[in-house]
Amino acid sequence: MTTPPVIDVRRPRFGAVLTSVLLLIAVLLALTGASAARVGDAAAVDASTVSSSQWLLPHLGLSDRLLDPAFLLTLLVAVLFAWGVLWPSTHPWNVLFQKVVRPRLAPPRAMEDPSAPRFAQGVGLAVVGVGLVLHVLGVPWALVIAAAAAFLAAFLNAAFDFCLGCQLYLLVHRMGLIRRRAHA
Amino acid sequence: MPGPVCCRSKSYSVIAGFWPDFGRTVGSVPLSSALLVVGSLLLLGLAAGVWLRLRDGRARTVRSADSVIDAAVLDPGLWGARATLVQFGTEFCTRCPQARRVLAAWADRHDGVRHREVDLTHRSDIASRYRIMQTPTTLVVDSSGTIRARIHGVPRPEALQEAWRAALGSTTPENASLTEGQAS
Repeated sequence: MTTPPVIDVRRPRFGAVLTSVLLLIAVLLALTGASAARVGDAAAVDASTVSSSQWLLPHLGLSDRLLDPAFLLTLLVAVLFAWGVLWPSTHPWNVLFQKVVRPRLAPPRAMEDPSAPRFAQGVGLAVVGVGLVLHVLGVPWALVIAAAAAFLAAFLNAAFDFCLGCQLYLLVHRMGLIRRRAHA
Repeated sequence: MPGPVCCRSKSYSVIAGFWPDFGRTVGSVPLSSALLVVGSLLLLGLAAGVWLRLRDGRARTVRSADSVIDAAVLDPGLWGARATLVQFGTEFCTRCPQARRVLAAWADRHDGVRHREVDLTHRSDIASRYRIMQTPTTLVVDSSGTIRARIHGVPRPEALQEAWRAALGSTTPENASLTEGQAS
């Protein structure tokens, strides 16, 4: 097994700051957008068949669900998460850190194995991915909840240096073990 | 809360001015409520982070006498004469090197105490058995192999001393000559 190159411990945290800002904006957009909206007297919905107190999202067409600003911003975050899993060295946050931020900082206190933050990016992708899919399927609040959950994880990483993805790694393994035993 | 939601406001989204109107400008959560939710989310993140910080690195005494470290997990030949600090980690664990430094230094300074590491990356059975939900987790094990205390996260300098006192009585394994040397 080859040893992967080590990275500055501040790099994933810098990325988490930017990601958490994007996700907080996504939560705001999702709350004020189609995800959490009631039908009201929206022109997109036939008022004679749908009560105004129902959730709007299931009654919207696919294009309206896809063009929701919160959906597009969360999709961007999902793409960034996927980028972080697949090609971490070319990820915009990492390039920004390497080119602009790191030269202005003191030498790194410590280096770390990049597989941990990479795994956490995958966890983030899974969380926002579920929200995006449910939103497209017309589930109200899915986008709000997914973006909020991903924000909390990114925020804990950014502000408290607490890597939720790394903690989840063990839990995922334990669940896998339970499933294998159930089949045996 | 039955009935249509409050808002008859035209502001569908915070970037409504830049965004095409899909004819669903009503029934959405008003911006003030959305900002309130976003603010609460930030507070929730702060509270969670402070809570995690407070419980991190502290020792918790284990009372059940049946929790014994298995010889298959750690060979008794590798145990310390008085106590063993068994540190569990994974390949993904970012804070394990930090925990390693603290534990190894403490073991060095105390007679009969050894620091041992167990990699859980491919051993989820061990994680299940000892209910390890996060890494690093350290078990303070006495000379008979009984688990006396658990520490989640990077152990605080005083946590090991506390664990020792709580679990093994008042006698600390202080290396007298070293302590005096440090005091002078």
